[in-house]
Amino acid sequence: MIDFIRRPFGHDPVLGKEDIGRRKRKENQRASDVGGTLKRMWQFISEERKLLCLIIMLVALTSLLSITGPFLVGYIVDNYFVQREFDGLFRILMILLATYILLSAAQYSAAFLMVGLSQRTVYKLRDRLFSHMQNLPVHFFDKRQHGELMSRMTNDIETISQTLNTSFIQFTTSVVTLLGTLSVMLYLSPLLTLLTVTIIPVLILAVGFITRRTGPLYKRRQRATGELNGYIEEMVSGQEIVKVFSQEETAIENFNKRAGKLRDITFWAFLYAGLIPKVMNMLNNISFTIVAGAGGLLVFYTDGVVTIGTIVVFAEYARQFTRPLADLSNQFNQVLSAIAGAERVFGIIDTEPEEDEGTIRDREIRGRIGFRDVTFSYDKDQKSPTINNLSFDIAEGESVALIGATGAGKTTVMQLLARFYETDRGEVTIDGVAITDYRRTAIRSQTAFVLQDPYLFESTIRENIRYGKLDATDEEVAEAAKLANAHGFIMELEDGYDTMLEMDEGFVSQGQKQLISIARALITDPAILLLDEATSSIDTVTELKIQEALERLMKDRTSIIIAHRLNTIKAVDRIFVLDQGELVESGSEEELMALGGRYYRMMTDNRG
Amino acid sequence: MLTVYKFALTYKWYIFVALSFMSIELAVELAQPYLISKVIDDGIVSGDINTVWFYLMVMFLLSIAAFLSGVINSFFSSHIANAFSYDLRTALFRRIQYFTLTTLSKFPTSSLITRMTQDVLQTEMLLYMSLRIVLRAPLMVVGSLIMSFVINPTLGFYLSLLTPLLLLFLIIVSIKGGKVFLRVQKRLDKINRFIQQNLEGVRLIKANDRGLFEMKKFQEVAGRLRDDTVYALRLMESIMPMLLLIINGSLLVVIWMASDMLRSDTVQVGEVVAVINYGLRMQGGFSMFAFIIMAFSRSKASSERMEEVLKSPVSINKKDGTLKEDRAGTVRFDNVSFRYPGSARYILKDITFDVAADEKFVIMGGTGSGKSTLLSLIPKMYDVKEGKIYVNDKSLEDWEEDDLRQTIGYVPQSAVLFSGSIYENLLWGNLEAEESEVLTSTEKAQIHSSIEAFDHRYETRVGQRGVTLSGGQKQRLSIARALVRKPSILILDDSTSALDIRTESALWEALKDENATRIIVTQKVVTAKSADRVLLLDGGQVSAIGTHDELMASSGLYRSIAESQMEGGHLDD
Repeated sequence: MIDFIRRPFGHDPVLGKEDIGRRKRKENQRASDVGGTLKRMWQFISEERKLLCLIIMLVALTSLLSITGPFLVGYIVDNYFVQREFDGLFRILMILLATYILLSAAQYSAAFLMVGLSQRTVYKLRDRLFSHMQNLPVHFFDKRQHGELMSRMTNDIETISQTLNTSFIQFTTSVVTLLGTLSVMLYLSPLLTLLTVTIIPVLILAVGFITRRTGPLYKRRQRATGELNGYIEEMVSGQEIVKVFSQEETAIENFNKRAGKLRDITFWAFLYAGLIPKVMNMLNNISFTIVAGAGGLLVFYTDGVVTIGTIVVFAEYARQFTRPLADLSNQFNQVLSAIAGAERVFGIIDTEPEEDEGTIRDREIRGRIGFRDVTFSYDKDQKSPTINNLSFDIAEGESVALIGATGAGKTTVMQLLARFYETDRGEVTIDGVAITDYRRTAIRSQTAFVLQDPYLFESTIRENIRYGKLDATDEEVAEAAKLANAHGFIMELEDGYDTMLEMDEGFVSQGQKQLISIARALITDPAILLLDEATSSIDTVTELKIQEALERLMKDRTSIIIAHRLNTIKAVDRIFVLDQGELVESGSEEELMALGGRYYRMMTDNRG
Repeated sequence: MLTVYKFALTYKWYIFVALSFMSIELAVELAQPYLISKVIDDGIVSGDINTVWFYLMVMFLLSIAAFLSGVINSFFSSHIANAFSYDLRTALFRRIQYFTLTTLSKFPTSSLITRMTQDVLQTEMLLYMSLRIVLRAPLMVVGSLIMSFVINPTLGFYLSLLTPLLLLFLIIVSIKGGKVFLRVQKRLDKINRFIQQNLEGVRLIKANDRGLFEMKKFQEVAGRLRDDTVYALRLMESIMPMLLLIINGSLLVVIWMASDMLRSDTVQVGEVVAVINYGLRMQGGFSMFAFIIMAFSRSKASSERMEEVLKSPVSINKKDGTLKEDRAGTVRFDNVSFRYPGSARYILKDITFDVAADEKFVIMGGTGSGKSTLLSLIPKMYDVKEGKIYVNDKSLEDWEEDDLRQTIGYVPQSAVLFSGSIYENLLWGNLEAEESEVLTSTEKAQIHSSIEAFDHRYETRVGQRGVTLSGGQKQRLSIARALVRKPSILILDDSTSALDIRTESALWEALKDENATRIIVTQKVVTAKSADRVLLLDGGQVSAIGTHDELMASSGLYRSIAESQMEGGHLDD
């Protein structure tokens, strides 16, 4: 029995004492977080203050009309039916009809406007989150699961959305009704009213008890949902790997663990949140009893202070009084769950964006590149830095190949140049000016970067190539594709350039993707060209064919390439040999071969 | 909807308990007015103070009883709802794990995610609500209607006159609602998909400085979601005012008719008042209806989406426990032609070749010539409809997928690692592998020393949440993962492209004595040179097959590939 109470139906307890402690500092912080989060939510809504006022007025009108209806019916019964007076009944029925129509109209208008307002707010929030994500540094994304971030955009924001849609109107209705009923009750009997409101302190205690638990529970629920989302995203995207290693059962087992965690948290969250109406019902019933009892005794012992009629009417009002209170407490829970979502959304929005203090906006870049004592690590606690005191100069229009063992830092050099990451020490310069003095866009818009992993969007081939130059004409797209030797295979596809590239389909091979991404780079006219293993999956015959195009592209343009193929390497002016983030050799291919150093050894090993 | 809610049947006894306790609550609530009338009539009016106290005690005790029932109902309904959603979610995930790749390609990842989170949530909420309030609304409405008929059939008839209209309205709205919410869920998929692509392409977007462009596109996607949500919710919000209008209209009819009947003295005033009161009470029930219809529409849409997953074909795995038979590792293609499901274009045409046990077999060919596709057919990632493939002289049709894949170590073209430690990722190849076996594999894959150089060595976290690995490091980890499996057939799909020449040759050296058939796709003639045989693909067809020397002599295409790599004079001597 005791075990059942601790772990009902086998749901592990989720909250510890420290989570619900009242005096803890953590608690205070949470409380202020709630206030802060609400304030920030308000900023998204406040633009539509006027509309919000209109909605409040409509809700008040609705509440008023919904009281008027029964009142008129009562009036008809008392003054016409009981009196058997039927003259003028038609007129009053028409008024009633008008009231009813107005009621429905006001109610619908309020809801209609509110839905618009709340969805516009949600849209703003989504947009803000997304545009903030565009300004976050690359390293932010390195350490986060995609699915987890996606969850904030969907699950968390949907929670907010559902709350905004309903809570505001219900909240206003509750307050208006509460005030209305309270006035009538006071008018009927101040003494009985006092007795009725004695339940409020109990209610506050109960709601406090519950929300101290639901608050943290909802937070955990959103987090667990995020983790589950992350797991699904990874497993489904990597399904091919799961399959070839026949690890379906492992994946399922891990998934069940995460889903089980979510289940346990939600069980407790639902349980506590679900107690509110139950508590309300009880308090409602008890206050009913108190009113009936106290009223009865008053009738009994004091003559004429309270009449039986008053008790009957009053009891009915007392019931109406607790209804909005119950609604309010339920809203409180709903709002808490939305806050749990909002906090996660703001958590991202509060992440420091890539600061961009550069002032140079649109200077034409000529392409002289310098690395001055650059040191860089991906992780602050990394044993040896990825790039170690690296210095070199690349002249305007020069082409350079980076070679070295995997993990030597070749890709990192390019990423530093594109300012995906900031150096720990030292300086990267373009045209003699530190890249931190440029706006990022100033550099990136004049640099073409073909990445190691040829990523293509789910869109047509044409649009993917056009991504390099948004205003490119169809002819320019085809021209670039021809240069990249992609035109041939594209035309063989049923829909040619209009073929949709679906994310998970194998219609276009890895090599073909690389051809498309080369075309995407060719279509731009960059000052600096960065090619990171741009041709690694392309067969060498095709590569030879696009070599010419690449060479033409590299001509008069500063280019840095990473490649393992000899003929690609041989086309450049200079070769840099990197080892553990340091430059160990540099020079033209002849010079390095003559040097007989590392490059020479690498090349001669190749013969075997 | 049925398929989905069948999952709730597991808990039918719990549901029974939850509903029973809810009825107790309801009964107490309904008894209250009766009891208060007792207090007044039998107690106060007749001046019997003991009766007053008695009924007050009863009322108090009943309140407590109702509260306890409510709490018990909370426990049960929360348990049922969450156990149901857990079962549903895990069933969906299990189903997806056994999807064929063809089936999987019909569902974008992002859509599967929404189905397993948002859609499950919608159905869970409907179940949860049902267990707590759903009975109330219809009971209140039906109860009130019946009571008004009992009191006065004529007035009851007038009160129910507009009920068919009401039902019709509810049916139309819930059908329409199902449709519009389906659209909303699809829009949500799109948002999810858009963000997923954005996360995957984050470097590309930044490199091209397309942040603003992406924001604009996102606004379009998010704007469409907003518009459809607004439309759907406005439809739902119309329910309440409409219901009120109809029920209030009936009330007006009742009052009008009652006035006639009063004039002809065919009805008592008291009866009229009672019927009107029941009419007002029905309003309360209807406000819950609006809520329920909305939850119902949403969950109907969501159920359809989940059923789509639950009814999609999966690969059949009989699991009759056949063990790895022998380690032979021969592969034979017999007149295989292949096109991806849903595409008319043949990627492979009439492929025939065979690979002997322990052979080092290299496949070469131009970009898009079908190399990767050919490899993916061996572990039965797709079903072959034309021609036959044999592994160990047994047709793939006769192989259990599990048994087949147990014998294969597959290294895909792009190295996918999962969030977790390096060691966990390696164990993915074989959960039972000993530590020494893992270490041997990483050494062979030339990655052991790199791992040792990481701060946390084998415990270093990789994957989406891990450290930044270089392309070559990922490829070698992925090779090591396949080696941990001790496969009798090792398949490498151009998985050394990011390796430098020296590391790569060390790798081949280490794999030289591997007791496994090696099928390798490569671009490099150097690798082909050391192979036992080379298969040259061209446009999805076998162009030539033989040793390097044979192909140099016989195949023009092969010669041109070799020449393309010879320019530096590094191959010809």
